[in-house]
Amino acid sequence: MIRVLSTNITSPLGYTTDRNFRSVMEGRASLRPMRHWRDIPDSFVASAFSDAQMEGLMLDGYTKFESLVIRSVSEALSRTQIDMGSHKTLFLLATTKADVDELGSEKGKDRLYQAPGKSARRIAGFFGIVTAPVVVCNACVSGAGAQVLAYRLLEAGYYDQAVVCGADCLTPFVVAGFMSLQSLSPEECRPFDIERRGLNIGEAASTIIYGRCDGQDDAKGRWTLLGGCLNSDAYHISSPSPLADGAVRAMEQVLKDVDKECLACVNVHGTATLFNDQMESVAIEKTGLADIPVSALKGYYGHTLGAAGVLETVLSLRALDEGIVLPVRGFEEIGVSGRITISNQRQKTGKHSFLKLISGFGGCNGALLFAKGAEYRQESLFGPEKDIRLLKSLHLTDSFLKMDGEEKAVDAQGKAMLKELYKRSGLDYPKFYKMDVFSRMVFIASELLLKGIVLPAAEKRAIVLFNQFSSVVQDRKHIGTISGNGGFFPSPSVYIYTLPNIAVGEVAIKQGFKGETSLYILDERDDALMEQIVRTAFYESGPSVMITGWVDCVEEDVFEADLKLLTV
Amino acid sequence: MEELILDLKKQIIEALNLEEITPEDIDNDAPLFGEGLGLDSIDALEIIVILDKYYGIKLSNAAEGKTVFRSINSIAEYIAKHRTK
Repeated sequence: MIRVLSTNITSPLGYTTDRNFRSVMEGRASLRPMRHWRDIPDSFVASAFSDAQMEGLMLDGYTKFESLVIRSVSEALSRTQIDMGSHKTLFLLATTKADVDELGSEKGKDRLYQAPGKSARRIAGFFGIVTAPVVVCNACVSGAGAQVLAYRLLEAGYYDQAVVCGADCLTPFVVAGFMSLQSLSPEECRPFDIERRGLNIGEAASTIIYGRCDGQDDAKGRWTLLGGCLNSDAYHISSPSPLADGAVRAMEQVLKDVDKECLACVNVHGTATLFNDQMESVAIEKTGLADIPVSALKGYYGHTLGAAGVLETVLSLRALDEGIVLPVRGFEEIGVSGRITISNQRQKTGKHSFLKLISGFGGCNGALLFAKGAEYRQESLFGPEKDIRLLKSLHLTDSFLKMDGEEKAVDAQGKAMLKELYKRSGLDYPKFYKMDVFSRMVFIASELLLKGIVLPAAEKRAIVLFNQFSSVVQDRKHIGTISGNGGFFPSPSVYIYTLPNIAVGEVAIKQGFKGETSLYILDERDDALMEQIVRTAFYESGPSVMITGWVDCVEEDVFEADLKLLTV
Repeated sequence: MEELILDLKKQIIEALNLEEITPEDIDNDAPLFGEGLGLDSIDALEIIVILDKYYGIKLSNAAEGKTVFRSINSIAEYIAKHRTK
């Protein structure tokens, strides 16, 4: 069983889970108006640490992002005993943009400096963690994705304990991006309300430490992570499927065999954008959860991006420890069409199981199921290890293309080579030209890899990719649209590709892959670690075909996709 | 007006990465979304940036955008009426 050993929330509302819980119980929120903030011309509402708070939180020699993660993890560690130097201790960092704020600075000119895997390694070093850290970078689903990964790697026995931290900072980079997408509310956000006008961005770090416990004795009073599911809508890179089929499938999979009446509440994403909340209401109704109280926490913290999946899980569990379902701050009148029971005031519950739902750009969805005590499902979703076979391989770089080890002639090199391969493929897919170089590479490499392959049902197809430099080329491009002489004109189509998992989403849409679509960032290529992650992604009732491998784009004309098509 | 239409088409082609497409390929009166060029919601947001960047027009009401963005002609008319630069 995978149990929660300790938690932390480090947010503008406080630096411990308890402090945050008390603040929220008092109805406090950290949202405030931001005017002329760091040269952003328009005002907006956000949740941010004050300068005085940051002065106390910053650690010598570490960036703001790293300091927040270290503070959060340290506090969580102070209340549990785990051997940080053990080869059985894993560190997972969930973030959308990590230290991207440093990229525009002098230090950031060294591109290694800001790579998220580098930050994760520095943080792991602080704690004396000896295993290679993994950064989970799946847009807003990252925090839930990291917990699913922890669950699998612990359940498979590769590790005994996992420190999972989700964190993101409020940066001009992200604010400008969401502004260009017209997603920011000019006022405090109002999840599920008829008058909701969009989201607020927030910054926070939140930690959850998991341990694999085999005995029943230590079950008392601890939460168990019973399972998690990640999947893709394969619908659109920035809009959720209005049919909510991915979210429904994710919840149905984790709720398999579970009596829905046992659920104390569902904590949803509830970003307060028109599309997200509408989609979630449809998903809740279709999953048969219309009468279960729904809570959403963005009205207190804003959307904390990579931290959201962890922070919202931690706070929900803490509230349920007291038998409380938290109210949705900002909600007054229902403004979604799906039948749903919004928790509009604090309510008591005697139930001890809990469902977390989340979704994000790239079309990904995530669901997690928790229960306290031992009265729920004992059987793992995991199942016995499967026999994995290689169907095909492809190695594409800026200067060559190999299929199953055999070199194929290509005339052009660099970025132009991707266009040549696209044209030769005979595809008529104008969206190809809208993609950034990284996505074009992943897209065309997958197209070639899948040629002539008969695929199983869409739900059985998954993509699990790894890289080092996230979306650094596109990050620099986006920074160019918000600073410098050109003025402040952030472009939505530039910004959206600064989430590296969008490349994975593009493949899912084109190829109809509705299973898991994940992107992990490592400090360096590590085939053994990648194999562990891939093996455990072939879980019971999981995918039967997977595109996996190493994909990186360092400059417009410097890239590599080393892919395999696997099956079980 | 003709000059404005040509500029606008070039700006749209550049911002939306419509490689392979020239200004002459875009019919001034054809629908931009759904059929025709097959633009989607992110492209609509990108056109909002064009209006701001080149013409000083702040369009934040998505409902208004729907009628304005019907075709090249309708966008050009809107620009001619509301431009501040």
